[in-house]
Amino acid sequence: MSQVSHALDTEHRASLELLGRLEQALARAPRGASAGDHGFDRLAGAFVRLVEQDIARHFEFEEAELFTRMAAAGDSGIAALLQEEHEAIREVAAEILPLARAAAAGTLDGAGFEQFRRGTLEMVERQVGHIQKETMALLPLLDDLLDEDTDRELAFAYAATG
Amino acid sequence: MKTAAGAFLGGAASRLLPLSIPFRYFGAALVYHLLAWLALLAGAAEFSHFAGGLGWPLAALHLVTLGVLVMTAIGASLQLLPVATRQSLPSTFWPKLIWWLYTPGVAALTLGMGRGSPALLGAGGLAIALALLVYALLLARNLAPARGMPGVVAHGWAALGCLLALLATAASLVLSYLGLPLLDRATALALHISLAGYGFMGLLALGMSYILVPMFALSAAPEERRILLSCALAVLALALAALAAFGVAPLALRLLAIALGTGAVLLHLQLMRQALRGGMRRAHGADFVLIRVAWGALLASLGGALALVCAAPLDMLAQLFVLALVGGWLLSFLLGMLRRILPFLAAMHAARGSRRPPTASSLSAQRPLALHFACHLLALALLVLALLLDSTLLVRLAAVVGALGAGAFGLFFVLLLARLHGSGSARAAASRAAP
Repeated sequence: MSQVSHALDTEHRASLELLGRLEQALARAPRGASAGDHGFDRLAGAFVRLVEQDIARHFEFEEAELFTRMAAAGDSGIAALLQEEHEAIREVAAEILPLARAAAAGTLDGAGFEQFRRGTLEMVERQVGHIQKETMALLPLLDDLLDEDTDRELAFAYAATG
Repeated sequence: MKTAAGAFLGGAASRLLPLSIPFRYFGAALVYHLLAWLALLAGAAEFSHFAGGLGWPLAALHLVTLGVLVMTAIGASLQLLPVATRQSLPSTFWPKLIWWLYTPGVAALTLGMGRGSPALLGAGGLAIALALLVYALLLARNLAPARGMPGVVAHGWAALGCLLALLATAASLVLSYLGLPLLDRATALALHISLAGYGFMGLLALGMSYILVPMFALSAAPEERRILLSCALAVLALALAALAAFGVAPLALRLLAIALGTGAVLLHLQLMRQALRGGMRRAHGADFVLIRVAWGALLASLGGALALVCAAPLDMLAQLFVLALVGGWLLSFLLGMLRRILPFLAAMHAARGSRRPPTASSLSAQRPLALHFACHLLALALLVLALLLDSTLLVRLAAVVGALGAGAFGLFFVLLLARLHGSGSARAAASRAAP
């Protein structure tokens, strides 16, 4: 596995792990609950960091450095599909980020919590489907797309943005 | 190097057939699913002692095998194989032609079986044979230039070989009712059952699993060498079973065939277990419960085959064997997969050119699926009990419960289409309203 693949795969696993925990917590929470009732704030805080920092940085790197190389190598179909999915995830993320911040601060009311639950479950489903495609199609392709030097340079550059 | 599932996902966006092509097969399969349970209700009194011959139990069996299993296999393979092998279909005319030949053919054949009409049986059989020959040509055309995925492709070729041999045995059985048998009936029947259940349908199910299970579980693709070994063992087992059917050392070759077949299945299940355990996403939910039940039933069917070969002193053994093979393994597996594939395909179609397409779960109605899940398992359990207790009442109860589950699955499909249509209309309205 290339260094870039390894870095992205590690972030995918961490992301799936957090999303899985959030999904379970939301499934357990009764309808009409408010965030503070369920010790939700820390999990919501981790989710805010995931959306604000990790996903934004991760997506930008993939779009700038990897999708362009995929398209140039003749895999424009999957590159376009992954790009479209980034857009959809960004749109959902923009909707739920204020709610997630409120949940992290313990100030989300029952109605806001329901909106947060719906949005988060949609985000989880889109992220899982997206990571599914990247794990199956993008990461294995990087071994062919990136030579050793480029792989090392990109991996350093990506690590520097973290 | 891309993985099998990666190539699948990579090509999925660009090689999607119009939704009406696979969905016409899936829709017809769900109608035949309901009709199969109703045919069983009509033939409930004869079910426990059914040992061949025309009648509603035979019609019910073929409504499942031809109407549900093969119908779905054609629809799924027409969509999935071109994506997996990275070869496009020549045109949508051929899948449409196959459907128009095959669907009424199944209706005529099964009605002929149920009502004891050799003429209807012959006409339906002819239409089905023509449809399946065209399908076999399409399949061969798709597999021949396939790049990569040798394990999946090998399963495809083996399934195709079994399909052609299966058609010959089916022709012999149908012609025997018209007074023109090609093969001895016992030979044709033995070949027909193994080539249909373990051959064509079994190999397609095993082959497709190597794409679908790792994709759903988010795991690495199984090792190609072991996939090919499992396929080779299965093909060898089928060849030995075929030789035994022609009277060549029947006991020894059948025992060897069962041993090799069990080896192929255990290897396959080990690869599936690794894929599920190594996946980043736990494959849970009712879909995978059905699939696990199906795997258990596949092993049970091999146990049943062994008991039959050894002439175990158990009444209804042949019926229990067919129930495990067709209802337990193939039907449960296929319905479990369909519950995932239908919303997945619908969401892929909805995603075309859409900024925020509906998710697969938003297109899925959960209540009908939950009802189907409970009814399917209960109906199978009631059938086992009915056979063990020789109870017509329990067969009738199983048929009613199964029909309720089939109706629920049909409702899930109708609601999926309605939601897909609704999401398309909503997106069109939103884009018209956008400045």
